[in-house]
Amino acid sequence: MSINNSDFDIIQLLKTDVNKGFRLVVEKYSTRLYWHIRRLVILHDDADDVLQNTFINAWKHIGEFRNESALYTWLYSIATNESLTLINKRKRNAAVSLDDIGSHLSNSIEGSTWFDGDGAQVKLQNAILKLPEKQRIVFNLKYFDEMTYEDMSRVLKTSEGALKASYHHAVKKIENFLVGN
Amino acid sequence: MKTLNEIPHKNPFKVPENYFEDVNRKIISAAAGIQPGENRKGTLRRLRPLLAVAASIAVFIVLSYTAMKIFRPETGSILPDVLTTEFKESCLNDIDTQTLEQYTDPSFLNEGASDLTTNEIIDYLLVENIDINDIYERL
Repeated sequence: MSINNSDFDIIQLLKTDVNKGFRLVVEKYSTRLYWHIRRLVILHDDADDVLQNTFINAWKHIGEFRNESALYTWLYSIATNESLTLINKRKRNAAVSLDDIGSHLSNSIEGSTWFDGDGAQVKLQNAILKLPEKQRIVFNLKYFDEMTYEDMSRVLKTSEGALKASYHHAVKKIENFLVGN
Repeated sequence: MKTLNEIPHKNPFKVPENYFEDVNRKIISAAAGIQPGENRKGTLRRLRPLLAVAASIAVFIVLSYTAMKIFRPETGSILPDVLTTEFKESCLNDIDTQTLEQYTDPSFLNEGASDLTTNEIIDYLLVENIDINDIYERL
């Protein structure tokens, strides 16, 4: 079996050989989940920690995974929650204001070794950082991951209508920021 | 200045070389040391003594309350019974005219109300996951 197997095949393998099945899960989803996490937490070291926590969490609860939700949305849900946990921890531990956290992350983007974008990309990432957290997640999942609203609804436990409105509003805010800056 | 549509959907972030191969190995070896579902059993095992203590305290409280109700005489209410009409009249007698006028002035009631922009209201609704369609239905 290779990483190109469907989620259905992987779920069947998890029932018969959980170690082998989990290895396939990691190989198939680590890259995609990493980029989702990285777009939220920005810093590579933080994304690395969150990614590992995500899979360890998934491993611990692999027996509780039910087939009602797709494997993919289940993993994204865990990754999103772990990312939010880190972001909230940053806020609690920071001796500076939330605006300063945003500025610090903006500075981490521009001029960083681990950022390869042009001026427009820098502005876009700064615009995304200005969004409220939940709206940032919605925007990233739609714009970069091209996730359907149906899947996003399972990941974020939010109605599709609310997600559509949130994405539309996020796009307007980002466009206003790009025009104004 | 480029608009959102003109900016390519390219991933601008980078990772160290061979990062994904290394992290996959780390995750799989970390998971090898943990039994799947171990966390759940471990939590229950750890909570058992606390649950026992909480249950004992709850039983003690219920027994104490029951004993008090049975063995202590009825003390009645601490506050005297006051008719609603007498209470209202006493309030009016104690309040001065100036204060009464101030509290009933509409401009006093609106004081401190912040001017919210439409965008701020929409942001609040979205962050609180309130479906805008529900609101339209109620209007």
